[in-house]
Amino acid sequence: MKRVQRDMLAYVLIALASVLLLIWAIPVYTPAYPGYGASPALVPNVAVSVMLVMAILAIVRSVVASRRGTTLSEEESTYPEDGSGSGFTQVGRVDIVHLAKFMMSAALFVVGINTIGYIASALGFLLLLQYLVGARNPVKIVILSVVAVALMYVAMRYGFGVPIPGY
Amino acid sequence: MEMIFAGLMDSLSPVSLVFVFVGVATGVAVGAIPGINGPMAIALFIPLTYYMSPLAAIGFLVGLNKGAFFGGAISAVLLRTPGTPEAAATTWDGYPLTEQGKGEKALRMALYSSVSGDFISTTVLVLIAAPLATVALYMGPPEMFALISLALTVIAGIGTKSISRGLVAAAGGLLVGMIGTEPVTALPRLTFDIYRLESGLSLIPVAIGLLAFSEILIQLERLKLHAGAEEAARSFSDKPEDKFVSKKEFFGSTKTLLRASAIGIGVGAMPGLGAPVASFLSYDQALKRSKKPEEFGKGRLEGIASSEAANSAVVGASLIPLFVLGIPGNLAVAMLMGAFMIHGMMPGPLLFEENSRLMYGVFGSLVIASFFLLFIGRFGLKLFCKAVQIPSVVLYPVVIFTCIMGAYLGQSSMFDVIVMLVFGVVGYFMRKFDFSYVAFLIGFILVPEWERALQQVVIISQFDPYLFFRRPVALLLMGLTFFVIIRTFLAGVRKKN
Repeated sequence: MKRVQRDMLAYVLIALASVLLLIWAIPVYTPAYPGYGASPALVPNVAVSVMLVMAILAIVRSVVASRRGTTLSEEESTYPEDGSGSGFTQVGRVDIVHLAKFMMSAALFVVGINTIGYIASALGFLLLLQYLVGARNPVKIVILSVVAVALMYVAMRYGFGVPIPGY
Repeated sequence: MEMIFAGLMDSLSPVSLVFVFVGVATGVAVGAIPGINGPMAIALFIPLTYYMSPLAAIGFLVGLNKGAFFGGAISAVLLRTPGTPEAAATTWDGYPLTEQGKGEKALRMALYSSVSGDFISTTVLVLIAAPLATVALYMGPPEMFALISLALTVIAGIGTKSISRGLVAAAGGLLVGMIGTEPVTALPRLTFDIYRLESGLSLIPVAIGLLAFSEILIQLERLKLHAGAEEAARSFSDKPEDKFVSKKEFFGSTKTLLRASAIGIGVGAMPGLGAPVASFLSYDQALKRSKKPEEFGKGRLEGIASSEAANSAVVGASLIPLFVLGIPGNLAVAMLMGAFMIHGMMPGPLLFEENSRLMYGVFGSLVIASFFLLFIGRFGLKLFCKAVQIPSVVLYPVVIFTCIMGAYLGQSSMFDVIVMLVFGVVGYFMRKFDFSYVAFLIGFILVPEWERALQQVVIISQFDPYLFFRRPVALLLMGLTFFVIIRTFLAGVRKKN
């Protein structure tokens, strides 16, 4: 998928979400107008309208450009697949598997804190995380995990007095 | 006068001094690590400030920000990898010096330039912020509404490749910022019947997710793509002339330092431009005005001075619009604004009226942070150089773990951790699709003030839009807002044609 196609997809999703917000979410989940000042729905409606208008303009621009057979500037039409780029945010394709691996482990950690406690879940999380990042030395992996978990626990529990379910 | 003295004395209290020192030292260390920048560090450390006094908290965070600006130069000079975006221009002359074995000299020049730019900028801030805030007190709700609209538009237009993306991001931030209890009716708005949302989304998990977690996700992808490409730091020469900056060399760059500081102050005081613009602009000017332009890019100290003084001058100057108008001009300042709000203060002209002692304490801490930066940089340079060598397999897991625990720390809430993870994914996709997370975050932070001003305008005017025509400053600001939008659109169209 080229960048221009992916941008089109993003704008279509934004436009659909905006329509959904305008016709359903804002009317249902906004208090009724109290009779003075601006309506509680005014600013949300303005914000969503801006999103909708901008998305529609971008879609129209892309459609007109493709019908005319003109291409957008290279910067907009291509995407560096290898992740290279000059800017700090310019990156390659969306790597869903990569994203899912880290998000799943974070989600497991969150669930683990409430079920098996902080110490066990944090240790497991850090061991897994280091493995995913590419660490392969088991001794170093274990040492870092134990030290980080212990330091964080002591800092949270005794330094800041934050209640944290240890085990 | 009494307040000024009391505030300055507060900043000299041992607790405040310790936190400013720790902030600067931490800032230099994290800024030196490629991929961790000032705003990201502030987002990660804000939860800790819950447990500090307001002055210690703000002093710690401004110290962190100042330290990170210099820290970015360390990896720029040693690895040709700028630790922060604003240090990119420093690599052009810093790295060639490292290749010649003069890395320590380059770093010392970066330090002295950074401290000079920062000190000049802080002095300007101290001298003009309070008087300007007095003038800004005359601004009413229409002017504030128009000013925030202008700031959002400028930030949306500059922070991204197209204004449509910037406006979508800013509008998204406004929308997310409106989740919670509506201020007039005191009833839940856009909460989707989730009771945890009734108090709104806290800044800390949103900021950690958008700034830190998503950035680490992106960097992990790069790590996967460029495995084994990490470069080792080079060694330093032992010759004194290759290690130290002589008085002649430093004072020979005085004009460059002054010009760079002026550019940094000018850029910093304008919302949306940011430190990278200042350092590139300053480098360009130094190159054009130099007697030996051919030496630029080959290890000229003047090049390092121009970049570092300019980007450090942005730090103090960018606090001017925050303290005077309550407008954050860049991401680091937006995070500082969040810290002020967490400690119960709303940045803006009333800040000096309501918290004058604290504000002079903050000024004192800003000046002290400059001296600490000099001290820490001077004596701890070699130690901080080791920060650039932390292996990615150690750094990234620890940062991810810190993101999660930092989000939890704020309110001891797993819900905040979930919010942080959600905004981590949002930030990941925003970066991938080039939507400005800066505009999003600033929209999120500014929306309560913007909506309050709008409510006041509506109540004062009783729905009469001609109110703006009776308020020339508000009219001018609204006119500028539309001008910025139209001009950015036309510039985009011209570029495509």
